[in-house]
Amino acid sequence: MSRIQREDRSGRTVLLTRNLTPGKRVYNEDLVVKDGAEYRTWDPFRSKLAAAILKGMPDSVIAEGAKVLYLGASTGTTASHVSDIVGPGGVVVGVEFAPRVAREFVERVARERGNVIPFVADARDPSKYSVAQVDVVYCDIAQPDQTEIALLNCSKLLRKGGTLLLVVKSRSIDVLKDPERVFAEERAKLEKAGLRVKEVYELSPFEKDHALIYATG
Amino acid sequence: MAESTPGSAEFEALRQKSIAAAEATIREASSRPDLHLVQAVQALDDTDKYLNITATRASEWYGLHFPELIQMVQDNVALCKIIAEIGGREGYSAESLQGRGFTEKKIAAIIEARDRSKGGSISEGDLSRVKTLSALAVQLSVIRGGLNDYVESQMKKVAPNIAEVAGATIGARLMAKAGGLDRLAILPASTIQILGAEKALFRSLRTGARPPKHGILFQHQAVHTAPKWQRGKVARTLANKIAIAARVDYYRGSEDPSIKAGLDKRLESIKERYKDPPQRKPESRGPPRREGRPQRPDRRDRHRRR
Repeated sequence: MSRIQREDRSGRTVLLTRNLTPGKRVYNEDLVVKDGAEYRTWDPFRSKLAAAILKGMPDSVIAEGAKVLYLGASTGTTASHVSDIVGPGGVVVGVEFAPRVAREFVERVARERGNVIPFVADARDPSKYSVAQVDVVYCDIAQPDQTEIALLNCSKLLRKGGTLLLVVKSRSIDVLKDPERVFAEERAKLEKAGLRVKEVYELSPFEKDHALIYATG
Repeated sequence: MAESTPGSAEFEALRQKSIAAAEATIREASSRPDLHLVQAVQALDDTDKYLNITATRASEWYGLHFPELIQMVQDNVALCKIIAEIGGREGYSAESLQGRGFTEKKIAAIIEARDRSKGGSISEGDLSRVKTLSALAVQLSVIRGGLNDYVESQMKKVAPNIAEVAGATIGARLMAKAGGLDRLAILPASTIQILGAEKALFRSLRTGARPPKHGILFQHQAVHTAPKWQRGKVARTLANKIAIAARVDYYRGSEDPSIKAGLDKRLESIKERYKDPPQRKPESRGPPRREGRPQRPDRRDRHRRR
């Protein structure tokens, strides 16, 4: 059974991920027992990946057992759900540059979860977290050159045919430009680099002026 | 990592190594003195706020009982000290007012005000609360003073050139906005000039309104005491010198008095060259005024590009 589940709560779909560390919470989320297994609720207003899934991205994009390179792990909210999804046979390599938030990521997520490997490093320099080829690169790093950074990491670390999930925050690329145009431009950059863009999920109403680009290498 | 499977002993050893390395990096970053300084200056600004709120409430409350005193003692902290120590109106006497920096004349005036006060009576319970609140304000002002001295002395150690050029507190606030000395040292002067005026900057970018001339830098006396038409130039010069100072502090770490000297010289020449307000061009005066009731300028037009 998939490690991502859905529950209907009075007409609203609630996403759940199978808890890798039963009984433990990461950020005070609700725990739900379903068919004898424990799940953690996944809030789309706090996690852009959850938002993209609710906007139609297939659950199978991150498969059980996958190796994921997670750029911009922050305090580890989304990273902990990715860790749930890939399960005990998968790996999440979490990279975060800012020490303040990395502290919480290491404390609450990396220490607790056997499939998470943390790096406090700059995603502009992948040699600092030399890992083997991964199946998925997830990139959420609100920098003007975020697409270039993601591409650099893909060229070095993404396996052939692997998946790139790129969160684009239009306002950190150009505050003035129309978000639609920013998304199209970033999409074109990926295509020019040889990736196949499968879909662009616009993340409203969960996030304003954000999109998640789903591409394969 | 390629060959080690998740869950294996080899994988777990690698994971632990990585956690240890990450924690070492975090620990190192957390002991940087500039980050402590950033916290200190923010604590100073917070304390300032609590102090104002607390002292204002105490004086409003006490004002029901002895409104004349509030009028006569302008300094909030001095007022709170009196309230905390003397209490009710009947406690005011030549002796209890002694040694508080008041002249004989002022003491006599306070005692006279006590006798003909328009204030109401105050219960034991109310008075006790007002006194506690006042004592808190006094305490906060002591803490504030300590933080202020600490920021000054730490700035001299961490960033002596910024302290010299911008002043310790303003320099520390800039550092806080930038996120540390390292970040401030790589900011362009134009960004330093408007740090703290982000709202105005983005409004300007979106709507074409005139861009802000200064953010935090407005607090510097060279900027806010300058006549309006010189302020932009002063703020720009100051920002330029702070950018240089930040780089010297971060990369070289020694004092360089020539930065401050250069700033003073340049400020002098601005004062000299732009002594007079610029002449408005007649055609930019806007439409002629309507007859009749005087018009108030529309607040929304304040930032329009002329």
